[in-house]
Amino acid sequence: MTAKPDPLIHPITRLSICGLLAAGADWVEFAALRDAAGISDSVLSKQSRVLEDAGYVEVRKGAIGRRPRTWFRLTAEGRQAVEGHLAWLAQLEEAVSASTRDAQQARPVPSDRDQPRRVLPPLLGST
Amino acid sequence: MRDASGDLRALELLRVQRSRLADRMRPPRWYLTGVAILWALTFACPFSWRYLPRGVPTWPILAAALAVACLLQWGLARATGIAVGIQNLRYRPGRPARIAMLVVWLAGSETEVFLIRRGLLVAAIAVAALAVVAEMACQQAALRAIRHDLRAGGGAA
Repeated sequence: MTAKPDPLIHPITRLSICGLLAAGADWVEFAALRDAAGISDSVLSKQSRVLEDAGYVEVRKGAIGRRPRTWFRLTAEGRQAVEGHLAWLAQLEEAVSASTRDAQQARPVPSDRDQPRRVLPPLLGST
Repeated sequence: MRDASGDLRALELLRVQRSRLADRMRPPRWYLTGVAILWALTFACPFSWRYLPRGVPTWPILAAALAVACLLQWGLARATGIAVGIQNLRYRPGRPARIAMLVVWLAGSETEVFLIRRGLLVAAIAVAALAVVAEMACQQAALRAIRHDLRAGGGAA
C-alpha cells in the first residue's frame, strides 16, 4: 500500500463514507452510515453514487417487508485507495505534530535573569 | 483541496464518526437472550444422549442450533446496520474469544459426558451452567473486540 492522496476520496463527505466503510465492517447499512457520518439521506445517496460509479463502493439493495434497505461495502479497489489516502493523512498528521514539537523546543526558555521582578519582591519583602 | 489543518480536522472527524459507528454495534437484549438459550440447548445435548430413548437422533437439535445461530447473526446485522465477517475465518477481531468459545464447548461437553456416565447428574448440570456463563462471557468479549476494531479503524489509519 502506498500513502498517496486520492482526489476522489479527498472531499470530507466521501472521506467519511469511505473511512467508515474501511473501519472493519463487511457491509454497513444506509441508516447506520448516515447516522455515523452525520449527513443527510440525499448527501449520502449522491456521494455514494459517485463512489459506486468510480468502482470504490459496492451497493446491495433489498427490502424487509415494504422497507427498502441499502447496504454498502468497499470494493478491493476502493479499500486500496482509502487505505492509501488514510496513510497519507496519518503521515501528514505526524509531520505537522513533529514540526509543532520542533517549534516548541526551538523557543528560548526564559532564564531567571530575564525575570528579576518575579525574584525580587519576596526578597525585598523579607527585609 | 483543503489545507493541512483542514485535512487533520477531517481525520479527527473520521475518528469521531468511527466511534459513533462502533457504538451502534451493541447487541439488543433479544440477541443475548437468544445466544444464551442457544448455548443452554447445546449443553443440554449430552443429557439428551443419556436420557432420551435410544434411536432418537440428536443431530436435528444441533442442526437447529446452527440454523438459529445463523438467524441470530442475521438479526444482529439487521438491528445494528453493521455486518461483520464473523463467518470468515480470516476475520481477526474477536478471534481469540471465538477460539475460546470452541474450547469451552468441547471441554464442557466432554466433562458433562464424563460426569453423566458416572451418574453425577448435579455436577453435570453445574458444569453445563458454568459453560453457558463462560460462553456468554466469550461472546461479549468477541463483541467488544469488534467494537474496538471499528473504533480503531480496522488497521487503517
